[in-house]
Amino acid sequence: MGRFAFVLRRPFQLIPVIIGISLITFVLLQLTPGDPVRVMLGSRASPEAIQEMRTRYGLDRPVIVQYGYYVMNAVQGDLGQSLAFRSPVSKIIAQRVAPTVYVLVYGLALSTLLTLALAVPAARSQGGFVDQLVRLVCVTVVGIPSYWIGLMLIMFLGLQLKLFPVSGFGPDPLANLWHMFMPALTIALAITPILTRNLRATLVAQMNADYVTAGRSKGLPESYVFWRHVFPNSLLPTLNLAGVIVSFLIGGTVIVESVFNIPGLGQLMVRSVLTRDYFTVQGVTLVLALGVVLTTFVVDVLTVLLDPRVKL
Amino acid sequence: MRRRRFLQGVVGVSALSVAPLGARSARAQAGNVLRMGLNSEVLTLDPIKTVYGPDIIIQGIMFSRLLRANADRSEVLGGLAETMEISDDGLTYTYHMAEAHFSDGSPITAEDAAFSLTRLRFQKDSAYVAPFDAISEVKAADAKTVIVTLSRRFTPFVTLPELWNAGIVPKADVEKKGDEEFARNPVSSGPFRLVEWRQGDRVILEKNPTYYRAGLPHLDGVELIYVPDDNTRLSMLQAGDLDMMIGVPAPRVQEMIDLSFRAQPETSSVTNCLLINHAAEPFNDLKVRQAVNAAIDRAAIAETVTSGFASPASSVMAPALDFFNADLPVPTRDVGKAKALLAEAGKEGLAFELMVSAGIVDDERSAVLIQSQCAEAGITVNISKVDSTQQWTRLTEGEYQATLGWWYNETRDPDSALRWAVCGTCGNQSYFTRFDNARVNELIEIGSAETDEAKRRATYAELQQITYDEVSYVPLYYPPYFNAYSTRVQNLILNPHYQFSSIDETSLS
Repeated sequence: MGRFAFVLRRPFQLIPVIIGISLITFVLLQLTPGDPVRVMLGSRASPEAIQEMRTRYGLDRPVIVQYGYYVMNAVQGDLGQSLAFRSPVSKIIAQRVAPTVYVLVYGLALSTLLTLALAVPAARSQGGFVDQLVRLVCVTVVGIPSYWIGLMLIMFLGLQLKLFPVSGFGPDPLANLWHMFMPALTIALAITPILTRNLRATLVAQMNADYVTAGRSKGLPESYVFWRHVFPNSLLPTLNLAGVIVSFLIGGTVIVESVFNIPGLGQLMVRSVLTRDYFTVQGVTLVLALGVVLTTFVVDVLTVLLDPRVKL
Repeated sequence: MRRRRFLQGVVGVSALSVAPLGARSARAQAGNVLRMGLNSEVLTLDPIKTVYGPDIIIQGIMFSRLLRANADRSEVLGGLAETMEISDDGLTYTYHMAEAHFSDGSPITAEDAAFSLTRLRFQKDSAYVAPFDAISEVKAADAKTVIVTLSRRFTPFVTLPELWNAGIVPKADVEKKGDEEFARNPVSSGPFRLVEWRQGDRVILEKNPTYYRAGLPHLDGVELIYVPDDNTRLSMLQAGDLDMMIGVPAPRVQEMIDLSFRAQPETSSVTNCLLINHAAEPFNDLKVRQAVNAAIDRAAIAETVTSGFASPASSVMAPALDFFNADLPVPTRDVGKAKALLAEAGKEGLAFELMVSAGIVDDERSAVLIQSQCAEAGITVNISKVDSTQQWTRLTEGEYQATLGWWYNETRDPDSALRWAVCGTCGNQSYFTRFDNARVNELIEIGSAETDEAKRRATYAELQQITYDEVSYVPLYYPPYFNAYSTRVQNLILNPHYQFSSIDETSLS
């Protein structure tokens, strides 16, 4: 049990992180010029209507007072009202979490399959044709922007071959395996080359390690050496890299969400920042921060499971 | 209304030219429901709470008014009111309403109409009171008669009750739910009523069985789907996931026509302009305004930015508006004249800052063209890119020298247009340019109180001549609306005043 004691400690480490993040976002937003009320009412709105709205949402109070109210309400589970939608932020975020999480997890799953399918044969034929081919593909794909990949998928798989819908989030998780395939593939194509190169390099390094030579000299079959010893020992660096990449992807899904018109958190975040929808930005930041912390946590648990020597 | 394409800026979307792709798939065509792709999202369903693009579209669809317009708003006809009488002094408007019902089956009474118009005129957070500020009282004389009293003779009022924000809302429902809840889930009086609003994604409407125009609407429903990315919206239309879309990038219009979509640009009331700050250096000097006016090549800008679909601008207001002064020539570019004017003003080596909203591709293109055109006349233009919210704040607060803007008008009558664009006493400092010309201000009042059409024409012609000579701002071009429709869609256009006013007669083949 001792190795897993960190599971209990983690939630407490979260508190200063969240306070820090919320304070920074709040101050940064207030420092950014621009008036949210003007944006939501339209340009010809009368000054009276604008003043009325400011008063209603407390925007005419000093920043420090606004932050105080925000924290007091947040502690009680109330994230405030979205200025643009005039609805509770928590409700708006709740509608947006599922599409983002789904496309992320789906993309990650596809990427895991692709990475294994590419890195393992490449490493096992080190310097050979397959290896060269995989490396070439990785270098090529990693240089292509996601936005372009998404558009090309829409054009060829969606419009020309009509294999997949060009946009939107499907009605249920099963239907979404089909609906979300192209966005998930776009994400997978963006991260697979990085993971593949990393995993291949580790596999190659491990295959030249002393313990592998020892195993071989004992007469162990090559595939046994690879799957039993080399492979498990090579996963850790790639897992940690994947953790970092996923943290970046959380909140960075906006391009994929925009190209495939998925109503997710990334789109919500961007529109909220641009319209200075203060409380929505705060709320989404909080959720994204939790997502990052959760990802790190999962990676830690997996690390401990994979490597008996690790103690956190 | 102002253009809001929030995501473009961040994603850095440019109009990507792609090869034509076969016909649309029949896969996603969904029954008798019209699926519209919008480039901004719906924010409120309460007609008095907004002047913002997608909101005024959906409110126009959900709420009937005392008057209604035909498809292109060339005619304003009886709506919930069958007949209208105007008193000889022009101060009292009496409307006689027909039998009609809200979407919950309750009758639409004069009481509801009086409540709706009173709320529009007098409620503190009513967003767009300006055109209605002549109203002094609205009351129900009996169950079917509404009397509107004006404080002054105001000719534009003849058609004003057709505006989206004069939509008739149910008094009982608003009072029961309160404004906030009503704005999210209203009982409606128009051809369609709310089924579900997925905020930031789509609004789903269904046919209102109690709509007052017998036998209408033809559609079973309408879905307004928010698709921020232009290219994605186009793909969805091509794939059959949408039946129409707003906002085709100009370079892709011809491609959509070739793919046999109805994508011919539609007449708008929009003017794109270079706004200049009259209250600050250097544009407080008439000669400097004239110099920049002469240095700019409007035709080149219109050609480049809109693929030639827009016409270069002369007057401050668009040709789609009544009393547009067609006698004003489009100023021709004259670099020599610009230099001479600068020399006269003692402003050789002039430099100014042009504030542009980053990510609005059209504006960024215009800015670069203006920069290079001015450079030839010896004027240095420093382009500064800010985000759209910041641009708006600096514009309204007067912390700018020049910026790019655009505006449309909700009526054919030019009164509210001129009050918006060139009136120094109407609350917005002439679209925040701080242009304030006593004669122009006076002509606006004269024009709106005049009932004789020829006299109004003369008044507005003089007004446009003054703003032209004074360079109140630099009108650049009059763009059309770039929308595309599947050929299934019958009887639907976006009228110049940004309303789908014939949507109750729209059908899908």
